[in-house]
Amino acid sequence: MKILKHKIFYIRLLLVIFCLVHSSCTNEKYKESTDETVNITEYLKNNEENYSLFLDILEISNYASFLNTYGTYTLFLPTNEAIDNYIEESGANTLEELNIENLQELVKLHILETKTFTTNFNDGKIATATMQGQFLVTGATNNEGNSSIVVNKESRIIQSNIEVGNGIIHVIDKVLPIATNTLAQEIESREELSIFTQALKETGWYDFLDQPITYDQDSISSHLSIIAQTNNVFASSGFNTYQELKNRYSNLDNPANPEDSLNLFVAYRILPGLKYVADLVTSPAHNTEAPQEVIGIKLAQDTVLINEQTFNGILEKGVPLNRDQSDITTTNGVIHLVKENFEIKKRFPYPVYFDPGDQPEIRRLASVFRIPGQNASFSQEDLQDVDWEGSNEISYRVDTPGGGTYGHGYFADVIEIHRLRDGYINNLTFTTPVIIKGTYKIWVSYRAAPSAPTNVQVYFNDEALSRQINFTEYGNTSQPERVLESQGYKIPVSPQTNRFNSRLLGIVNVESTGRHKIRFNSLSSAGQQTWIDVIEFRPIEMDQIYPRFSPNGLVEE
Amino acid sequence: MKIKTILILVIALSTISCNDYLDLRPPNGTVRQEFWKTKEDVQAAVIGIYSEMVSNQDFAERLFIYGELRGDMVIPGQNASDNQIFLNTTNILSTNALTDWGMFYRIINFCNTVIDLAPQVLEEDPTLDEEELEGYLSEALAIRAYLYFTLAKTFKDVPLKLDATLNDNDNFQIPTSSQEEVFLQVIEDLNQAEEYSISDYGNLAENKGRITTYAINAMQADAYLWLNDFTNALDATNKVIESGNFELIPASNSWFGTVFGEGNSSESIFELQFSDENLNSFINVFLQRAEYRASSRAVTEVFGIDRQNPENQDIRGERASIVASGAEIYKFIGLNSEQRKTTTTSNTHWFFYRYSEVLLMKAEALNELNRGEEAIAIVEEIREIREAIEITELNPAANDKTSISDYILAERSRELAFEGKRWFDVLRVARRDNYARLDLILSMALSSAPPNQQQSILNKLQDPNSHYLPINQNELYTNKQLVQNPFYN
Repeated sequence: MKILKHKIFYIRLLLVIFCLVHSSCTNEKYKESTDETVNITEYLKNNEENYSLFLDILEISNYASFLNTYGTYTLFLPTNEAIDNYIEESGANTLEELNIENLQELVKLHILETKTFTTNFNDGKIATATMQGQFLVTGATNNEGNSSIVVNKESRIIQSNIEVGNGIIHVIDKVLPIATNTLAQEIESREELSIFTQALKETGWYDFLDQPITYDQDSISSHLSIIAQTNNVFASSGFNTYQELKNRYSNLDNPANPEDSLNLFVAYRILPGLKYVADLVTSPAHNTEAPQEVIGIKLAQDTVLINEQTFNGILEKGVPLNRDQSDITTTNGVIHLVKENFEIKKRFPYPVYFDPGDQPEIRRLASVFRIPGQNASFSQEDLQDVDWEGSNEISYRVDTPGGGTYGHGYFADVIEIHRLRDGYINNLTFTTPVIIKGTYKIWVSYRAAPSAPTNVQVYFNDEALSRQINFTEYGNTSQPERVLESQGYKIPVSPQTNRFNSRLLGIVNVESTGRHKIRFNSLSSAGQQTWIDVIEFRPIEMDQIYPRFSPNGLVEE
Repeated sequence: MKIKTILILVIALSTISCNDYLDLRPPNGTVRQEFWKTKEDVQAAVIGIYSEMVSNQDFAERLFIYGELRGDMVIPGQNASDNQIFLNTTNILSTNALTDWGMFYRIINFCNTVIDLAPQVLEEDPTLDEEELEGYLSEALAIRAYLYFTLAKTFKDVPLKLDATLNDNDNFQIPTSSQEEVFLQVIEDLNQAEEYSISDYGNLAENKGRITTYAINAMQADAYLWLNDFTNALDATNKVIESGNFELIPASNSWFGTVFGEGNSSESIFELQFSDENLNSFINVFLQRAEYRASSRAVTEVFGIDRQNPENQDIRGERASIVASGAEIYKFIGLNSEQRKTTTTSNTHWFFYRYSEVLLMKAEALNELNRGEEAIAIVEEIREIREAIEITELNPAANDKTSISDYILAERSRELAFEGKRWFDVLRVARRDNYARLDLILSMALSSAPPNQQQSILNKLQDPNSHYLPINQNELYTNKQLVQNPFYN
C-alpha cells in the first residue's frame, strides 16, 4: 500500500516534471495589429521636433485626419525651419495669424494623390497635378559642389522617398509657393517684359491669357504655354518701343485683327497645353495659336533651339531659349523666355520625298545606313516614328546601287515588310518629316513583287486616300510618261526599270505645317515581301514626274 | 533516495536551454577545426574562391554593370529592368537592388578565411611547405584586394573587413573606411601578394585563370593610377612588359576568336574561366533577352566609319565589340567574327586584365609624368596593330597633357570596350587634380541622357558624391555604423 502510494506520488511528480520541462521557456508574442507602418500624420507626430509646424498647419486646415487615412499620397513636407521662414515672409508672427483658406490651398499644393518617387522626376512637371490643381516642377541643382533634387526650382529635397503606410514623403527645405498670377498678370508684373505686355494688350491676347483654367468635355485643360521676349531682346532686333514693333509688323494697322501680322506674331508665341521645357524637347514640332503654324524645337547638346531646321538643303539657324529663365509657373500656364527675336516661318508648299528608311535610329547605324549590302531589323520600340500592329520586325535593306533586287531605287535602300497583312504586320504608320501647309499629291514608289498584297489602303492623318495601292503592279515603260501620269502611274526611278512603280494615291490638303501620319492598311493577303522606296508629297502645281529618284539621289532625267 | 534522484533529474532536464536542446548542428567551430587540417583543404578553399566568382553568374554581370552602365557606351536594352535604367540615367536610390554589395563581401569572406586559417595548417600537415602556402595566400590577398578596389571605385567609402567571419558572434557593425584608406589597403595587400606570388603554374589555363605575379602587377598599376602615384604605376606596368610573357596578336580574321571567343590568349593576363560546365549569362543578357545594347556613340563614333571605303575597319569594332545593325554588344557572345555562341556554349571569359590595358596604363602613367612622346608612341603602336582608322586618329602635341589624356581615354574605349572599364576610366581621369576634368563626365552624360532628364542629370553629376553608388538600404538597417553617402540622403 505504501509502495502504491509512493508510486502515485512519483507518477504525479513525474507529470509535474514533464509539464515543467515541456513548457516553453519564453512566451510567444503574438502581433496584435496587422500592420505597424505609420501613416503620414502619425509619422509627423513621431518626428515632431522637425515637423511640428506642418502638423499644426494640418490641424488648422483640418487635413490631419485626411492624411491619416489609407491611400496613396505623396507629401512634400516642409521642415519647421522652412515654415518659420514662410510665416516671416508672409508678414505674420505665428501660424494662427495666417488666413485659413490660404493654408488649405498651401497644404493641397504639397500633396499629390499618387505615389511619386524621385525616380519618376524629370526636368519638367510631375505627371500628376497637386490636389491644389497646380503642377509641380522638378529638377536638380548644384550648390557649391553639392547637388540636390529641387521642386519648383527653389525647394531642395533634403530627405527623399520616405515610405509610410499611405504613401511617401519627400522633405523639403522651403515651402512651395502657390502661383497666384495668371499668365497675363505675371508678364505684366515684370518690368523687362513691358513691350511684350503692350503687344499682348493691343492685340487682345492679354485677356485670353488672363482666363482661369477650364476643362473641356474630354477633360483637357485650357493651360497655355507662352514664349515671351524681353525688352532687351526686342532692342537687339531694333525695336526699342512698342511703336517700333508695331510699325514693323502691323500690316493692317489694326493689331486686334486676327489677320494682322502683329497679332499673328503674338499668337505664334502662344502654345496650347502646359508645356515645360522638358515637354517641349520631347517633340520636334508644337502647335501655336497662330492658325496652322507650328514652331520647331530642337535640342542641340543642352541648348533648346526654336525653328532650327535644314530646309531645302540649307541650315536655318534656330533661336535659343533662355533655359534658366524659363519654366515660370502661373495659375493658367507656363512662361518661357527666348534669347532672340523670331518670326513665323512663311513658306510655300515644297515637295517632300520621304524615304521611310531615313529614320533617326537607322541613320545612327552609320555602318548600315545607305551602305550597300547592309540591312538591319527593328522591332516597334526601336523606331520612334514608325508604328505597326503585330509583333514582327520590319527591315531596312540596302542593295547594290543600280543592281540587285531593289538597288535601282532612291539611295538603293527600301523598307521591307516581310508580310504586309493582318496577323503579321499591318497598319504600318510612319510619321512624316515636316510638310509645309498646302495641297499635295501623294505618290508611293515601291519595288513591285508578284505575291505582295494587292489592295492596300493608305490613310493620311486617318483620312482614307482615294486610290488603293497594288504592290504587285510592275511599272509600264512602254507607254508615254504623260499618258501614264494621267492614269496615276509613273516610273519613279532613273535609269528607268519596270521593277519600280509609283502610284498616285490622291490629293490632300495639308492644313498645318508640321509632321503628319501616313498609314498603310493591307486589305488583302500577302505571300511575299513588300518593299517601300519613297513616299512623295509633291505640291499640285509642281511637275509630278521630275525629278526622278536614283541610287545617288534626285535626278532631272 | 529516489526523490533525490528525481530532483536531480528535474534540475538537470530543466536547465537545458531550449535552443541548444533542439539544435542538431555541431557546436560552434567544430567544422572549421575538422576542415583546416591538410594542404588539400587549403587548396580546396582557394579554388572555392574562384568557383564562387564563376558559379555566381551575377558576379561578372555586376562587374559589367558597375563599369559600363553609367558610362556612355551601353544603353539599357528592351528587357532592362527599372533598376538598370535608373543606374543608366543617374536616378539611383538606396533601394536599387543593384547597389547590393553582398556578393562582393561573400567572396571577400572566402578570401579572409583562407588568409586567417591557412597558416595554421603548416603545423598540422608536414607536406605543406611554406612556399606553397604563400602561393595560396597570394591568391586570396590579390582577389580580396581586387574586390575592395572595385568596391571603393563604385561606392567610395566602404567597410573594410580584413578578418574572417566564422560565427554569429563576430562583429558585423563595422564603420566605413575612406576611399583613400581602402586604396592603401589594396596596395598593401597587393604588395604582400606580389612577394608571395607564383609566376607560372605550368599550364595555360591556370596561368590565365589564377592569380599570377603579372595579374598582381596589373592590379597594382591600376590602383596606383587611382592613387595618382604614377612612378609606381609605371614600375608595375614595366614588370609585366619586361617579363616577355605577353604580346599583342597581329590583326587577322581569327584575332577576335582567339582573344575573346576562345580566351586565354597570349594577350591575356587574368580571365574569369567560364566553361561549358560553368556557363555565363552573356548570350542571354546581350542577345536573346537583351538587357544591354551598344549606345549610338559606341556604334558610330568610337570605332569610326570610313565613308569612302566601308571595308576599311578597326578590327576591334564591327563583329568584335559590336554588331552595328541592332546595336548589339558582340564581344561576349561571338564565337568568331562570323558566328555567335549559343545558350549552351555561352562560355566567353570575363577579362579582368589584358596586355593591351597594361600598355595603355603605362601610357597614362608616362603622360602624367610629362613623358608625352612615349605615351603617344604606345597608343600608336596599339592603333597600328588593331588597324584603327584615320578618322579616330588624334595628333596631340607631345607636351599637351590634356589632349594626350583624351587620346588615351578614347583608345581605351576602343580597346577595352564593354570590359567593365569605361565609367571607371572616365571617373579616374576626371577626378584628378581636384576634379579638373569634370567636363569629361558631363559631356559623357550629354551624349546619352534622355532629353527630358538632361538638365537634372547634368546638375546631379556636378556633385562628386553622385559619381558613387549609395549604400543599399538593407545594409544601413543591419549595420548601424554605416553612414550613407550624403548625396543620397
